[in-house]
Amino acid sequence: MKKLTVLLFVLLIFVLAGVFIHSEWKANRGTEVDFQSNAESVSPPVPVPAADEPLCPQVASYTIDVRLDTENNLITGTERLTWTNTTDNAAIELWFHLYWNAFSNTDSSFLRDSFLQGESFDHFREEDWGFCRIQSIFLVNGNGKDRTDLSTLMEFRHPDDGNTLDRTVFSLPLPRPVAPGETVTLDISFESRVPRPISRTGVYRNNYFIAQWFPKIGVLENGGWNCHQFHSFSEFFADYGTYDVRITLPSQYVIGATGEHRDVMDNGDGTSTHRFVQHSVHDFAWTTGPDYLEHTENFEFLPGRTTEITLLYQPYHRHLKERYLQAVRNAIHFCSLWYGAYPYTTATCVDPAFNSRAGGMEYPTLFTGGAYFLSPERVHSPEGVTIHEFGHGYFYGLVGSNEFENAWMDEGFTSFLDSAVTHEAYGPPLYSRRFFGVPVTFKEVPIPIESGGIDSHRNTSDMDILQRFAWEYMDGESYGANVYSKAELLLRTLQRVMGEDVFGNMIKTYSQRWWFRHPRPQDFYDAVNEFADRDMSPFLDQVIYGSGQLDYGIGQAESRRPPAGHGLYEGRFLKGRTAPGADDLFETEVVVRRFGEVIIPVEVLFQFEDGLDLRESWDGEYRWRKFLFTHAAKLKRVIVDPDFKLVLDVDRTNNSRILKPDRLSALKWTTRWLVWLQHSLEMLTVFGG
Amino acid sequence: MNTLTHLKKGFNHTGGVTRMVVCLFLFNLIFALLLAIPLFRTLQDEIASSDTASQMTESFDYLWWEEFNDRASGPAELFGPDIIGKGAVLLNLEAFLQFRFLDWPSSLLVFMLLYLVVHTFLAGGILSVFSQDAPRFSMKVFFAGAGHQFFRFLGLMALSWIFFILTAQYLIGSLNGILTGIKETAVSEVSPFIWNLIFSAVVLAVLLFIQMVFDYARILTVLEHRDNIFSSAWRALRFVVSRPLSTLGLFYTVFVCQIAVSVLYAVLIESFPQTKFLTVISAFFIQQLFIFSIIWIRCWLYASQLELFSYKR
Repeated sequence: MKKLTVLLFVLLIFVLAGVFIHSEWKANRGTEVDFQSNAESVSPPVPVPAADEPLCPQVASYTIDVRLDTENNLITGTERLTWTNTTDNAAIELWFHLYWNAFSNTDSSFLRDSFLQGESFDHFREEDWGFCRIQSIFLVNGNGKDRTDLSTLMEFRHPDDGNTLDRTVFSLPLPRPVAPGETVTLDISFESRVPRPISRTGVYRNNYFIAQWFPKIGVLENGGWNCHQFHSFSEFFADYGTYDVRITLPSQYVIGATGEHRDVMDNGDGTSTHRFVQHSVHDFAWTTGPDYLEHTENFEFLPGRTTEITLLYQPYHRHLKERYLQAVRNAIHFCSLWYGAYPYTTATCVDPAFNSRAGGMEYPTLFTGGAYFLSPERVHSPEGVTIHEFGHGYFYGLVGSNEFENAWMDEGFTSFLDSAVTHEAYGPPLYSRRFFGVPVTFKEVPIPIESGGIDSHRNTSDMDILQRFAWEYMDGESYGANVYSKAELLLRTLQRVMGEDVFGNMIKTYSQRWWFRHPRPQDFYDAVNEFADRDMSPFLDQVIYGSGQLDYGIGQAESRRPPAGHGLYEGRFLKGRTAPGADDLFETEVVVRRFGEVIIPVEVLFQFEDGLDLRESWDGEYRWRKFLFTHAAKLKRVIVDPDFKLVLDVDRTNNSRILKPDRLSALKWTTRWLVWLQHSLEMLTVFGG
Repeated sequence: MNTLTHLKKGFNHTGGVTRMVVCLFLFNLIFALLLAIPLFRTLQDEIASSDTASQMTESFDYLWWEEFNDRASGPAELFGPDIIGKGAVLLNLEAFLQFRFLDWPSSLLVFMLLYLVVHTFLAGGILSVFSQDAPRFSMKVFFAGAGHQFFRFLGLMALSWIFFILTAQYLIGSLNGILTGIKETAVSEVSPFIWNLIFSAVVLAVLLFIQMVFDYARILTVLEHRDNIFSSAWRALRFVVSRPLSTLGLFYTVFVCQIAVSVLYAVLIESFPQTKFLTVISAFFIQQLFIFSIIWIRCWLYASQLELFSYKR
């Protein structure tokens, strides 16, 4: 017995030591940030006491009660909308979105755009098309009992393109105007059919992703209703409010949604009703399916600040669970540090089902990642997309910019955010390529943060300007290159020009100043100019409202002995005249050029062979500037923008010049290419002899 | 005699004509240099006088490459990070199996076609050397055989292309169609992935089978002095089909050796730093040794197949 006790004691010591070593090892791993993640469980979400105090005025609030019919893919139910007129003018009508009517037929503006992008819908059966139909709409009068039926007054509107077959926006005249500050209540019953997945919504093999699914009021601004049609290249814009949503669905289905999972009620008929509540958000999305695996944990992202992370993931992505979670933890932690502490009590990350076309999308407190089952760690998938979509919780979720009209103000900011968080948490990703579906990483090829978006910007910058309505870009390539790439490059350039600390303060101030409000480009201008040591508007104008490129480079660089004079000097003919002391000096001439249209001051570094370094500034106003030096040593190297501040520069190669060429790298890479070519030639002999 | 004996004999015969293998290797190298030298000049103009040079010596400057890739034209379009180490072999295998090389720049395709024609000429020489009772390499035997067989081999190549084109058009097309269908109804990406691997293996097997049949057709042409390429191809097919174990066994044994050499090369070259002149030159020798091995293995295959055919005939 004594031996057994000793044995157990020794075993206990080993186990404790193992746990300690494991935790130490985890803490020392370079790619993980040491967070205090606690209380892990895989049981259904535990209701967390809500911070019920709204964080902002609740302009448009919804109480929704719906049932999902999984046989017919129908969602039927009611919503009570409470809307307050926050403008200075009376509202004589209300405008609404019915986004799912974009999926009714190929004549909607959304699908016309998609068709132009090469998508085909010939394979859609009758039951694959979606819709959102209003069955009744009542204005609830003061006492809450009298209701005025407005159903017959609905009129479909087409403010963007005049497409009369588009049914994604309707207006509703009111019996009497809603005065500034006044609140109205409407009861709406509706039926929506879940489409075959088209764009981040739909059903695939019992996996439902449900977004933009209910009749949703537009935004009344002083200029009128801001309520755009649904387009292939546009996202959303809405006022903040409280969503109290009850969803009834088969009991065996797992559900994730915006906000807190307040309770679940078993209806006794094989269905359950789930209730989710969230205040201070401008949208509500949910997903459900029988196959989701669920993990929930509380996470302390800053000292004393916690939120509940829920991960819904696919069974075939079990091995990616920890990577998803770590990405969410990294995202919440760094976003809280850099843009303000995450204010919500939940964050739900969804690993979408294969073919659901729901990957990489954001909704308040709920977002989707996306991953291939073979994902090497240094490729940053699913990390990159997870961080990006969580980041939208800030730039779109908290900072409520208009995604229809200023898409770069959310996509560009979030692209900047995700690459910053990803590089901070994981380091640069490695270049990777799939051969026969198997990803192969190239450890010699790290992808620097500066390359994020520069290639697409270089190739498409003359197609459009950055500030443009989302559906008005030439095509998807130009949309992506502008709203994602160019805007990210602009922010990274600003970060380096202004200095990291100043920029950090600026972006945090801008973010928090505009939480729960709707900023416009000028509001960003104001924030930049408030923190910058100069007026940055001319530069911002060129990038945001112009289509020119930024490209500085070396035109010419040489060092030589001063040439001997030849000719008449003060009446005397001299041949081979040298100035006193000239034999010890070199004349250096460097021409720096502005090849692009965009003008911004730039620095030039001159390095001489004797170790002397000189820095000069150039305003870049004219097309070129010549620098002349007379010095005891030859020029060794010259570089424009030596600190790589101008990330928008489309040609970095021409920024530097070395006067003694280094041919080793050309030799090295030619030999590597040579062996590839030799191998391909030999492989080709299969087709001959 | 079993397959191993034929392989051993083929191995010995190839070992006995190392000079021929060296000549074939030099031909490959010189041909490839015709394109590599312009690339060297292009790279030199691009990077030798900028900061990129030192970065590209240490590793791979991805930022520069993106710029270069936008500017590059002709064969230089195919310069990229994919060619590093195992990437070079995988890139070619993928291009070969999915006929993606047809998307390569037309100047490179013309160059490759030229190589193929000249190599077809050389194949006559290789088989003539191996068809001797005691294979010995001499320029006279080699070029006499090459010249004698050239047009017959060219005809066989054209005939084989019908089968290759049919494979590309119908087999790969059909398999891709099936794969699309599998993807559309799959529960996860795992099953399309597995089916893709299976289909790739099927395509590889078919392409190699066609190659093998036409290898025997060439052997038959040399050994039996046949002029009728259709008859040669038909007899070669019957020979392969009637002796599947020995013909396929021999072929795939050599194929596995080629894969083993490729893996060995990938492991070796990726762990070899190339940051100094001496290491770059050393790596060059390893690279060329790899290509030499691939050519040697091709000759070994011919020699072994010829042995097998002579024995079974």
